Order: sequence, then C-alpha cells, then structure tokens
Amino acid sequence: MGKTIIEKIIQLHTNEEVSPGKIVWMDLDIRSARDFGGANVVKNYEREYGDQRVADPEKTFFTFDLVAPAKTLKYADNQQICREFAKKHGIKIFDVDMGIGSHVLMEEGLALPNTTVVGTDSHLNILGAVGCFGQGMGDVDITFAFRTGKTWFEVPETLKVIINGKFNYPATAKDLTLFILKNLGTEKALGKAIEFYGEAIENLSIAERITLCSMVTEMGGIIGFTSFNQKRLSELKDFIGKDIEPVKADQDANYSEIIEIDIEGLTPHVAVPFSPSNVKDVSDLRNIKIDSGFIGSCTNGRVEDIELASKILQGKKIRQGVRLVIVPATKRVYKKLLEKGIIEILFKAGAIILNPGCGGCAEGHAGLTGRGEVQISTGNRNFAGKQGKGMTYLASPAVVASSCIAGEIINPNKI
Amino acid sequence: MIRGKVWKYGDNINTDVIFPGKYTYSITDPEEMAKHALEDLDPDFSKNVKKGDIIVAGKNFGCGSSREQAATCLKYAGVGAIIAKSFARIFFRNAINQGLPVIQCAQAVDAIQNGEEIEIDFNEGKIITEKRTFNFPPLPESVVQILKEGGLIAYTKKKLEAGK
Repeated sequence: MGKTIIEKIIQLHTNEEVSPGKIVWMDLDIRSARDFGGANVVKNYEREYGDQRVADPEKTFFTFDLVAPAKTLKYADNQQICREFAKKHGIKIFDVDMGIGSHVLMEEGLALPNTTVVGTDSHLNILGAVGCFGQGMGDVDITFAFRTGKTWFEVPETLKVIINGKFNYPATAKDLTLFILKNLGTEKALGKAIEFYGEAIENLSIAERITLCSMVTEMGGIIGFTSFNQKRLSELKDFIGKDIEPVKADQDANYSEIIEIDIEGLTPHVAVPFSPSNVKDVSDLRNIKIDSGFIGSCTNGRVEDIELASKILQGKKIRQGVRLVIVPATKRVYKKLLEKGIIEILFKAGAIILNPGCGGCAEGHAGLTGRGEVQISTGNRNFAGKQGKGMTYLASPAVVASSCIAGEIINPNKI
Repeated sequence: MIRGKVWKYGDNINTDVIFPGKYTYSITDPEEMAKHALEDLDPDFSKNVKKGDIIVAGKNFGCGSSREQAATCLKYAGVGAIIAKSFARIFFRNAINQGLPVIQCAQAVDAIQNGEEIEIDFNEGKIITEKRTFNFPPLPESVVQILKEGGLIAYTKKKLEAGK
C-alpha cells in the first residue's frame, strides 16, 4: 500500500510502521516555544527535570512574536523567564524584533520540507506551505519535546482536495482559502491531513501557499500540503535556501475521501462574524460600514500581501474616521517593504505601520477592537473576543485596502 | 480496572465549560482547579464527584482552546476515565499527557445512564454495565505506557532514568 505525504514524513521520523490511526513515537527536527506558552514550558521543565539538559540546544528555539515588545510587566517577566532558560541551556532566541515565529522558522531555513517541527502556536501547521510537518501543541507536550526531542502522534488519515479551475484578480489566494473553507466547513477535514491538488494550487507562490496552509487550522485539519509545478519548486528552494524537494504521495496512496472544488470565476469572499467558516461572496454584503482595517498576521503578512494593498492605496487616502493598521509578518518582510518604498506609500495613505509580529490578530497585543467596532481584517480567526469586543470580518489584503478607502466592505474592482 | 459512578453530559462540551476561562490566569494550583471543574455546566459535579468516577459524553468532548487546564482539573477532581462518542484532538492529547484515560465508544455512550455504576477493564478493552458489556479497541501500547506511569512527564522521567 502506498503512502500519503503525512504518512511518508512521519515514517521518516519513526522506526515503527506508519499507518492511519496508529500512534507512533516520532522524532522532532525542531522544537520551539513562543513567548505565549514559553514561560509555562520553562516552569514545567524546571519543576520536572531540574537542571537536566535539553535534548539538543541546536534544535530548540524560542520565537517571541505575540506580545512584541512586551506591553505589561507580566509579559515582560514571562519573556525574561524564557531568555534566562535559553542562556542556561544555550538555546537560540528569535527575540521580539524578529516577527512571527512560524515565518521566521521558514525564512531561517529551519522548517524544511519533510521535517517535523512543533511549537506552542496553534497555527504552526502553516509550515505545510514548505512541505514541513509543523504542529502546535500544549505546554506539557512541548516540555517533553524540549527534554527528549520526541513526541507521540496519532497518524492522521488524509483528505485529498482537488481544485478545478483558476482564479484571477480581484480574487486572491485568501479568497481561494475562504472559498475552500466555505466548502469544507469545519467537519470534513477534522483531524485529517489535507493534500491540495490542481493547476491553481501548483502555481501558488510561497506567500499564497502560506495563506492557504495557515487556515487549515480553521478547517479543523492537522496540516495541509500543496502540490508544486517546476517554477514554484525552484522558488521554494530559493526561499528555504536549500536544494530539498517535498516528498510526493504515492500513486496508490489511500485517502479517506477525495473532494473536488470548482473555483472558475472565483470572486472575493469574506468570512462574517463570528466564524471563519461563515463565508460569503463580497457582493452579498451591502452597506457594512467599517471602523477599522488590519493587514498582517501569519495568514497575510508577507511582502506580496502588503504590496498588493499598497498598489490599491497608492495616491489615495484612507477614508476619514477609518483606521488601518498594517503589521509585516517578519523583520525581513519589513526590510523589503522599506527598500521597495512600500512603507512610504502606506504612510502617505494614512496607515499605521507597526513592528513585525502577531499584533492585530489576537487580543493581548496592539490593535484591539472596541465594543461595537466593525473591523475588516486579513487575519484567520474572527471568533467573538478574539481581537477584542468588536466584530471582525476576514478578507484578502485587496478587500481590506479597498474597504478602508470606501469606508465599507467593498469588492476591490469598485475602487 | 476502575469502577465508578457515571456523570453523563451531551455533545460539544468545550474547554471553557470544563474549566472556566475566567480562572485561566488566577488559579494555577491543580487541587484548586479541580474545585471549579465543570462548574458552569453542572455545579454539583465538583462537590460530589468521587475518585474513580467516570464522565460519559457525546461528540467532540473537549473542543475549543488548547489549554491544558481542562484535562488537569478533571484529573485532579478524581475522574478515572472519560468515555465519549468522539474527542477534540488537542484535548485527547492533553488528557493522555496528564494520565487521564479517554475512551471512544459511541454505543456505550448511548446505553449508559446518568448516575449508574460501571466498570472499565482497560486490559481487556471492556466497559461493563449492569445490563451488558461493550468492547472498545484497546488503547495503543504507547498510550497505555504513558497512562500507567501517570502521564507524559512521569513516563519520560522513568524512561530517562532507565536509560542512564
């Protein structure tokens, strides 16, 4: 019997024979903790293992991205607890200047195709974008991973999703992602790995794959993998800085289900409060006035995302009374935006540009929504209370930028 | 083998109901956490639960956040096992890591009544009620090892010591 991608990657990391439903002990190439959860990992570790060394400091990392820089004493203390532990054990920290941990792991060539990575970020399965098995876990799991370099894992079944047709602007990878979410809901992929196929998938850029794979969490999936054409495969190698190709599924691999989704003529889509799977065509939303916009997050914080917004905002002004917060995913993204003159365009249009990180996507950091506030965001979750007390609509950078000019949720082709 | 009284609940019992979110940062002592287990759903639970009692629930038990406290508070409340039609993935992991057995068996869930006394034989994979016996697939050996040692951390401690 052939194997799916997730089965192959797990098989590369265990001596036990891999099959769906079986629990195996799996070696971890990278184990990480963020500032959120990280301090608990350290506390667990010191309580249970005392001064024993971590399994391999070279493979262990802290990535500070959630509250960066710390805004309360508690957060500052928690980050300092991690820094002191890191110093003691010789662990590298990507500190509060670096940006979203999952993106940094990809940019630094640490999250590589066919490797296994765990951390305290529920969106760590975003690493599927580069063919890496990333997985978010609780702090006991990560404590254990720090000490042993292993975890136990139930091999998931795999769902095959075939995308038929192509998409064109004003539809973007975010609209593709929301449209898939609309079709799969939160049940069909629950607890499964997903493999995405089809011409539109093969031709996705790295940034676009990141957008799609980041929201596999919202689909209920364990991880999503995407197929590549030759051009995109060489882009991947440039991005990770290594000549490694993601494994492919065997011809006779076994799928729990095969679902085909037709996207021809895809239009911009928006997830309406309070669920990411509550997806509607943008033209079905009328007279939704907005108070604020947010462009960033692990889902849409890449150069291409912010550059697209800047093209729409160039020479225009954000509507009076509307605030637009933009947060680049990483320091590298920020640098590129500076070099390309994009920051200046955004500044002139009236946007607020924050330092790289998770800000704007989760309560606890800059860019909260107040009671009654309506926000249009490129983030990935719009559960009640996630960004504050307001109501968040999820959309592409193009829809967010256009809506901030119009003052209401709008199709970018109307700007 | 455990024997205990059944506390039966419905579908989609989420982590906020299991351990109220408002205590996330204020209560960190496991014994204290246990006093608030399920309090918004069933205020009698934490007052009357006895060591070895068994929770029986519907689909998607433990959905919602990844907070470990949901599993911790039930374990320290004395819960001996949870039988459900299905579990949310992260809760399932966290429960096993805390040394709290979780069993998927939809048939048994339908048949078991609130308040009855039942028995679970983990080695044989059997749930024994007064009227009949249900079989469940025995847990994988690796999970049984973790549960036997009382959780993931205790399990590693032992393993690391043995390897010295």
